[in-house]
Amino acid sequence: MGAVVGIDVGGTFTDLYYTDPEHGIETILKVPSTPDDPSRGLLDSLRVAKIDPSTLEALLHGTTIATNAIIERKGARCALVTTRGFRDILELGRRDRPNMYGLTGVQQPLIPRDRRWEVRERVDHRGNVLVPIDDAEVRALGAVLMEQNVDAVVIAFIHAYAHTAHEDRVRDLLAAINPAWEIVTSASVIREYYEFERTSTAVVQGYLQPLVSRYARNLHSKLREWGFQRDVLIMQSNGGVAPLTELGKRSAYIVRSGPAAGVIAAGEVARHAGFNKIITADMGGTSFDVAVVINSEPRIAENTLLEFRVPLRLPMIDVHTIGAGGGSIASLDRGGILQVGPRSAGAMPGPVCYRRGGTEPTVTDANLVLGRIDIDSPIGGSGATKVNLDVDSARKAVTALGAKFGLSMEETAEAILAVVNQRMAGRMRLISIEQGLDPREFAMVAFGGAGPMHGAALIREVGIKTELVPAYPGVLCAMGCAIADIRYDLSQTIEQRLDRTDIGALQAMLKQQRADGEEQLKKSEAPHDAVRASHFADMVYQGQIHALRVPIEADWNADRLTRAFIDTYRRDFGNTLGDIPVVVVNVRTTVLGVRGAHAAKAQSALTHDQPKPFKRRPVHFGGWTDAAIYRRTDLLPGMQFEGPAIVEQDDATTVVEPGMTTCVDAAGNLLVTLTEKAA
Amino acid sequence: MSIDPVTLAVVRGSLEQIADEMDLHLIHAAISPIISETNDCAHGIFHPETGETIAQGRYGLPVFLANMQFTTQNIVRLANEQGGFKPGDLWILNDPYVGGTHLQDVQLVAPYFVGDRLVALMASTGHWMDIGGSVPGGWAPKATEIHQEGLLIPAMKLYDQGRLNEPLVQMFRANVRLPVQIAGDLAAMTNVFTIARRGLDQLVERYGVDRLSVCVAAMMERSEQEMRSYIEEIPDGTYRFEDVIDNDGIVDKPLNIVLTLTVRGSQLTFDFTGTSPAARGPVNLSRNTTLSACYVAMKHIFPEVPVNGGAFRPATFIIPERSIVAAEYPTPVGGYLEVLGRVIDIVFGALAQAIPDRTPAADFGTVGVCTIGGRHPDTGNFFVGVFPYPGGYGGSRASDGLVNGNPPLSMANFMSLEMSEHRYPVRFNHFRLREDSGGAGWHRGGCGTEYQFTVWSDCVTSVLGDRVDYQPFGIAGGGEATPNAVRIHTGGNSWVPPMRSKLDSQPLHAGDGVEAASPGGGGYGDPLERDPNEVERDMNLGYVSRATAESAYGAVISEAKPLGDRMTYRIDATATATERARRLAARST
Repeated sequence: MGAVVGIDVGGTFTDLYYTDPEHGIETILKVPSTPDDPSRGLLDSLRVAKIDPSTLEALLHGTTIATNAIIERKGARCALVTTRGFRDILELGRRDRPNMYGLTGVQQPLIPRDRRWEVRERVDHRGNVLVPIDDAEVRALGAVLMEQNVDAVVIAFIHAYAHTAHEDRVRDLLAAINPAWEIVTSASVIREYYEFERTSTAVVQGYLQPLVSRYARNLHSKLREWGFQRDVLIMQSNGGVAPLTELGKRSAYIVRSGPAAGVIAAGEVARHAGFNKIITADMGGTSFDVAVVINSEPRIAENTLLEFRVPLRLPMIDVHTIGAGGGSIASLDRGGILQVGPRSAGAMPGPVCYRRGGTEPTVTDANLVLGRIDIDSPIGGSGATKVNLDVDSARKAVTALGAKFGLSMEETAEAILAVVNQRMAGRMRLISIEQGLDPREFAMVAFGGAGPMHGAALIREVGIKTELVPAYPGVLCAMGCAIADIRYDLSQTIEQRLDRTDIGALQAMLKQQRADGEEQLKKSEAPHDAVRASHFADMVYQGQIHALRVPIEADWNADRLTRAFIDTYRRDFGNTLGDIPVVVVNVRTTVLGVRGAHAAKAQSALTHDQPKPFKRRPVHFGGWTDAAIYRRTDLLPGMQFEGPAIVEQDDATTVVEPGMTTCVDAAGNLLVTLTEKAA
Repeated sequence: MSIDPVTLAVVRGSLEQIADEMDLHLIHAAISPIISETNDCAHGIFHPETGETIAQGRYGLPVFLANMQFTTQNIVRLANEQGGFKPGDLWILNDPYVGGTHLQDVQLVAPYFVGDRLVALMASTGHWMDIGGSVPGGWAPKATEIHQEGLLIPAMKLYDQGRLNEPLVQMFRANVRLPVQIAGDLAAMTNVFTIARRGLDQLVERYGVDRLSVCVAAMMERSEQEMRSYIEEIPDGTYRFEDVIDNDGIVDKPLNIVLTLTVRGSQLTFDFTGTSPAARGPVNLSRNTTLSACYVAMKHIFPEVPVNGGAFRPATFIIPERSIVAAEYPTPVGGYLEVLGRVIDIVFGALAQAIPDRTPAADFGTVGVCTIGGRHPDTGNFFVGVFPYPGGYGGSRASDGLVNGNPPLSMANFMSLEMSEHRYPVRFNHFRLREDSGGAGWHRGGCGTEYQFTVWSDCVTSVLGDRVDYQPFGIAGGGEATPNAVRIHTGGNSWVPPMRSKLDSQPLHAGDGVEAASPGGGGYGDPLERDPNEVERDMNLGYVSRATAESAYGAVISEAKPLGDRMTYRIDATATATERARRLAARST
């Protein structure tokens, strides 16, 4: 495999990870993002890294452009066309409210009601036409849409997954009226039932398509100018990549792809290090993302809520987020109990020590006053972007908070960390318990700018044995982009009792999905070494709502499928429901274009040398202790050292608590464990 | 022993975490879809002597908010009468007069011992799919006594010092329609205590029993202090509010619910004197659930208050015996949700007089459901489809009301229409926002929802709703919402049920159907003060009709032109200001 670059464009920083396995070169860097035109920051990073475009085999890229367009409501001016009687599906959702307690707040549908239109048509749940399309009515609607001056049109009919012709007909009629419209049909985005979720997913696609297509064209031409003639692949939220040329059509797939890339990379790094069950802990400035990866397979969520009443029903890596990060604010509630987050100082004003006007103490301020962050070389910047931290103001802010409940500055800062760590540990426990897993059997991969600073406390709190800190924890998402496979997901709803299903037709459906996926892969022209397809069936006991996703083979008969479901059910719930008939809800196929097995980082010979701290400084762990400070670059495979210690590198700071041991493994990962007590 | 604030914060977080883990364990392991899919359960950790809530899970339903504490307190009393809790004991009950809610909600209570010291109580409540009685699923709209609603389990020991009372389990199994599922749910609920013990053991190991007990006492005090600080912001006074339930489904007579809320410093008194005596039909609430409803309403207004016994301390209750808010044996309680919703409404109605800036106007106010049942023609299997009411929320100082909310005491969703058509012989003709149904206001109420379905095979429908005769109210000058409306279509005729929104077991044949239109929420503030741009937007989105814009909002329309089959409007801001001024002047004379 040739040289590859992964670039993750976040809200504040654009991270770059470059690897050239042949020459043993690995480079990382961070440059400021350019939100007005994110492709500029991307090109900046390539230039700063002095990468020669002609030597590059592939460029892989994660972007928050889609996520931001949704949050800021900067997507296209869209219209929605629905079956008569159902234009409000998008706004009504499925009867819910934003928060369990508190009855205030409204929603902002991505397409407002005056741009939602209905046409006469209806099919039943088996796809039989009850009311045919009236072409004249559709053409008349086309004229209205011209008058409304829309950029994109989303068509979402009831039961369209069972009968796509009506949506297609309306698409063709409208395209004839105005070829400039970007038109999206619901069944082309997702061929599954659940009218609200399918409509919403199609609307997200339509809302993003014009903007994302423009971005793709712009980036493409900029990269050509820079001299790069080969393929660009874009990270998707399902953990795979897709070619830049298809980006517009796959806009909905790139929402929240950044966290997915981090999970992919964490899973890969952990697998090479010999861990097959991991929890990923990604802590940044405002949020803490947790996911579970078993045998390199991240858990996939079928439905993700982007915000209140904006579900996206596409396979996405199941990442859970809470508002806990370096910028989380510490304050007292009315009962006088310390709270940390979810309120955040964000990037502006940021922590007190950032000198941008923040006055309330944050988690970063607490870490700083306890000596865990080096005043002179903070994270998230190098060269020109380096921030000169204001430790005096941070001390004052923490002291002022402590005065309210009679604690010293150090005690207060430790209390802030204890509370935020307890919240993050709680979320880690819940994600595993929700899935019937015991978190203590997992290893934890800590990354993100702040992850390795809190990882030691988290494994202690949750009872996890090992914390793995990868070589470049601060740019792991960029690395995830670089190593991900090309991925296409296909699905179709059946919703029928297995004993009444035409198994021949089901098998044909799976073959067709595989063929369609392979065709997409071929058309993408993206380089890959092998093709791998896997099939799944979503099944339930008749009457249940939530389906279990069961891996299957394309040639299985009804008995074999039933057995697979019952085995999975027993494994997940510890029992079965006896003779209740089994229903197959959806069948799915995932087609992967496997990219050159990411060369595991060269395994170096182990050394028995003692690592040498480059300095020592007082760090507070229950009391001021003289702690060894190591440079990450001085730590070689085989080295071992005891906490308390701090490991510093450009993209992150790792804290090793007293009573913990750190080993450097053959790939250069830090493995932090509780020190075995001498017998 | 002094409490260090770090320990206090971490212990509180850890106890809440254990309660959350109890919730999630049952949601994951339960067989009944009502638990696994609508979270119809609740878990908590309670004080060993007072029975007060120490922590409650945040995934269970609001309806159980304070109910769990009052049930546990009754169990503490009963256990003490029988020589106190012993290690390995596990109590069970569903008696609504001792516990609350309805017979389907079964509660387990277990002691947590460290050595021989009783340190805490743990409780699990779960909704069972069937509990016997005259109707599958347990909701009997024509019930006039509790025995028609199902099997009543008095508070007793399911496990006595670790020994299972096997005959008792056999008795349940013989008296419910889904014995396998019920036994599975019971096992899952029992397992929850293993999870709780594991978490509590870790805390005890880390902090010791004495420090933990000091923290618990401090947590309660802090929560009480926090609750009192909110109550102190409510001006002292006596605030009276009353509202009405259309009828009990059996006797066509309105039922009054009256609340006199007194605020003195940091103390609240909820006095329900004047409330109607127990209804003959199942529209009754047990006392514990009435208390719970008051706390749910308070928590909706002050969402930051933590859920533990301390927060419940600053309130006292005066509840007339044998009224619809204090059901006693053998009064039926299966329709308790309608009363519960109305209690939340009147708490809002009373508080709106004192703190209008914090209180929303009434929401759609009917929790009711439309069910259809029968045998599916394709499979021959029995089915029951449940379509709960969605509706609008009231306007508030903060915002207009939401559309298509769920009731304040529930988080359950509406089923996918496409899935419903797969599972039941129904076809939806429309499912849409009910135009012009929110109360007018400076912030208007959210619109209700309307849906209509036709069946294509014989089945039976039942409806239980309310808010037809007495619609959701506005506050601070806001208008009322449009009332509920249910119509049944049979044999080509369309008719309103005699009890309006309560109908038991109506047969439907192919081509017949049901049409429901739920209320919106009440309005907040004077509609004449609503921003004219917002009124124009409301008209163009179809949330508000032209007629309402003119009559309620004083809008003067300068332009109306057709677009497709709709009209688009422009408001003349100057003329609207003049018209509004004229009306305000007319009001004051």
